[in-house]
Amino acid sequence: MDLLIYGATELGYMVALRLYQEHSVTLIDDLDKLPDKFNSLDISFISGSGADVDALEQANLKDCELFIACAELDEANIVACWTVKKIVDIETICFVRTMELYRNLVSPKQNRYQTRYDIDTIIWPEQLLTQDIFRIISVPDAIDVEYFAEGRAKLFEYRIKEDSILRDSLVMDCSFPENVLIVGITRDHNLFIPDGSTVIQEDDKVIFMGTGPALDTLAATIFQSTNSIKSAVLIGGGSVGLMLAQQLERAGIRVKLIERDKDRCVFLADKLQKSLILHGDGTDLELLESESIGDADVTVCITNNDEKNLLCSLLVKQLGTDRRIITRVSDARTAQLFERVGIDVVVSPRDSALTELLNRVQARDVNILALVEGGQGEVLRLTLPAGFTDTRVMDVKFEAQAIIGVLKRGRRLIIPRGETVIKAGDLLKIFTMAEDAEAVKTLFAG
Amino acid sequence: MKITNILNALGLILIAFGIIMLTPIAVAVMEQEYSSIIPFITASFVSVTLGFLFQRYGGFSRNFDDIKRNEGLLIVSLAWIVTAGMGAIPYLFYGLHPLDAYFESVSGITTTGATILTDFSLYPKDFFFWRSLTQWLGGMGIIVLFVAILPQFAVAGRQMFFAEAPGPTEEKVTPRITHTAKALWLVYVVLTVLEIILLVVAGMPLFDAACNAFSTMAAGGFSPNPLSIMGYDNSSVTWIITCFMFLAGGNFALQYRVLFKRKPLALLQSEEFRFYALIVLLCSAGLWVALVVSGTAGLIDSVRDSLFQIVSIITTAGFSSADFAMWSVAAQTIIFTVMLVGGCAGSAGGGVKVIRVLFGFKYLKREITQIIHPKAILPIKIDNKTVADDIQRQILGFLLFYLVLMTGSALVVTVLEGSAAVGLVGTAATIGNIGPGFGEIGPMGSFGGLSVPTKIIFIINMVVGRLELIPFLAMLHPDFWSFRRSAL
Repeated sequence: MDLLIYGATELGYMVALRLYQEHSVTLIDDLDKLPDKFNSLDISFISGSGADVDALEQANLKDCELFIACAELDEANIVACWTVKKIVDIETICFVRTMELYRNLVSPKQNRYQTRYDIDTIIWPEQLLTQDIFRIISVPDAIDVEYFAEGRAKLFEYRIKEDSILRDSLVMDCSFPENVLIVGITRDHNLFIPDGSTVIQEDDKVIFMGTGPALDTLAATIFQSTNSIKSAVLIGGGSVGLMLAQQLERAGIRVKLIERDKDRCVFLADKLQKSLILHGDGTDLELLESESIGDADVTVCITNNDEKNLLCSLLVKQLGTDRRIITRVSDARTAQLFERVGIDVVVSPRDSALTELLNRVQARDVNILALVEGGQGEVLRLTLPAGFTDTRVMDVKFEAQAIIGVLKRGRRLIIPRGETVIKAGDLLKIFTMAEDAEAVKTLFAG
Repeated sequence: MKITNILNALGLILIAFGIIMLTPIAVAVMEQEYSSIIPFITASFVSVTLGFLFQRYGGFSRNFDDIKRNEGLLIVSLAWIVTAGMGAIPYLFYGLHPLDAYFESVSGITTTGATILTDFSLYPKDFFFWRSLTQWLGGMGIIVLFVAILPQFAVAGRQMFFAEAPGPTEEKVTPRITHTAKALWLVYVVLTVLEIILLVVAGMPLFDAACNAFSTMAAGGFSPNPLSIMGYDNSSVTWIITCFMFLAGGNFALQYRVLFKRKPLALLQSEEFRFYALIVLLCSAGLWVALVVSGTAGLIDSVRDSLFQIVSIITTAGFSSADFAMWSVAAQTIIFTVMLVGGCAGSAGGGVKVIRVLFGFKYLKREITQIIHPKAILPIKIDNKTVADDIQRQILGFLLFYLVLMTGSALVVTVLEGSAAVGLVGTAATIGNIGPGFGEIGPMGSFGGLSVPTKIIFIINMVVGRLELIPFLAMLHPDFWSFRRSAL
């Protein structure tokens, strides 16, 4: 597929990096300011603006199938998408960074107005990040949670602690509730798909997939985390902080929000109903102690500065030992460092955005539902074609590492076992390693 | 300030008021009290003539578009003082002392409802009609009335509209001030007519129904019956008046939305209205307990009387369904407490206003929270909107001035009358435009026996309280009085 990216930004780089091997990518932006790292990618460059018809013509827009606008300026992205639509009717994806524009563009009301905005997909990374953080918070102790099939199926990621009953046992010996599968294990930052003889070790991050109720039982029996979150501390009151606080308020969680900028505090206090807005620095130990931040059930560090987030997380970790800390990182490399020093969960707006974007880029019948471990693992969704002959799961010859997590037949959700038969028309959710995704797709396509 | 502007505006208001003063004549004809025609024709004539003189002096200019804020404040204050003066003229014909007549007129037009009358049987029906009508005219605000009916005030009305009701919330129903004024009067008239009909259905004579409805909707409190609502001895009348008093104490702009804009929840969504309803319910319950414990009335009658009395006092109507001056001290204390609250902003009621009380509580709560969380940013929100700093300051200033004025007036009157009850409660009742107090100035008593200086202080209290202090305070500053007689 030919696709066109507008904007030589960090995000543009991530997108290009992820896509250039399988697709032919063209990048439009002012080439004088092109960061060096783009030169290592096998893509072509057009100098100009994404809103410039000439530049778009030059980029062979007519042959493209997808246009991604991810320049610095929201308005520029929007205008670029509109310009593209004027020339040719291809799918457009537009990144925005401000709440107002996002609200405008995605509001269901817009269809009532005279003309629609006419942009196919709007992605606001911070909004996706907020969703991700909220999901993680609302399921205690899990370090990653994804929902599928309108929440009926879930993916949980747990860290095996020292006192866990699963520690040092074989996967085949573990007694889970029915309808739960272990689909992956991350050990020393490497994701792999276990088989029955894999031994679960301390500090492994184990990924479970299954139906909602079954996973809840799992959480209650094996991870014994019935104590739900009652209070949360947010450090950093940007868009993510604001939206997260709003969501937490709705969920009935008490929120304290620390923000450094006085004017922003006033703004937040005006927008939020119940949250306590504290004016101060998240690294001010005195403030953290006097407001007993260590007593909160969860602390979320979401300033826009990775170093600051790290420092805050560490301080909070000193104050309260067994509290959960969620930290925002923008750089994937720093993320590993964060985990090494013992911060439970790291999230990044780019990861969130990338998942969403890749989901859109994939062919219609294959969807990436989730990225696990910074893209090492993926959850694919694919429908078995009409000509598919009935096969038992144990007979499917995966040449690659993959595991069928959930099977949807009609409205029924099935967590397959070895003897389950899969049929044409079934919707499969397959957990696989990123490098094997293609192989899995070809296997089921034919 | 331009004197011409002020005189022009006042002249216009006087002429209009003079014409309105002819309406009691219709009642006089209907009731065949032909002797009552002369007083109102005289008063109307004086008012119109004075209006023309003012206008002549002001050069008959119809252009009020450049009225300044100070001029607006002065026009508003003078409008109240002068129209009350005109309204007093008919009373002179019934043998009232000029000061008493002015007291009665001010009490009427500011919707206070404090009376100097002792024997109601001396006066004809037209007299009582005029008393109630002054309240009705003053209820929605004299200026709002003239902004609504006089097209000349289309632009200048803005300055004067907010000078008259400087509440913390700028409630505008429509973008244009004349439309807003008309909308408010529409609600006012509709509710009044509805109440008259209901009262008549409940068995009250039409004349009494009209007078009481006028006083109710204005949150005034003048009743043609010497025993107030108690005199009708009719339970359903009491309930009807309770309901309409309650509405009169609510925000009319919101009621306009409920009635004409099909937003039935507008009232309930208002935090002020909910707080108002809460105060009414809690205080009524408290009063009910006090009444039952002291054995003043039966269980069922107490429910009606306590609710009626609390609503009557909080909306500053000042009707009485029982002689509360005879109730126990506990009951009187509760009544005195709600005297300090008043109606909602944008209502016919006077007093401190519920929204300021609500703000006061939120302010205290904020200060307490701030002690525990010194670094917290805690905005004060009403209806989920942050109250801006300048408005916060204004409200606090208002509360402080209200307290200062009340203390001062209470002290002076206590000395003059030799009674702390008259001093304190009388001050609270006049500054809050409520009407009756306790003791000799209670609902069955009269303000007539007070000394002359006390009456003057109470007159000032009533006008200042009705104008919500701000225009009065502005006048205390020397810079306010820089007049300019400019070219016409």
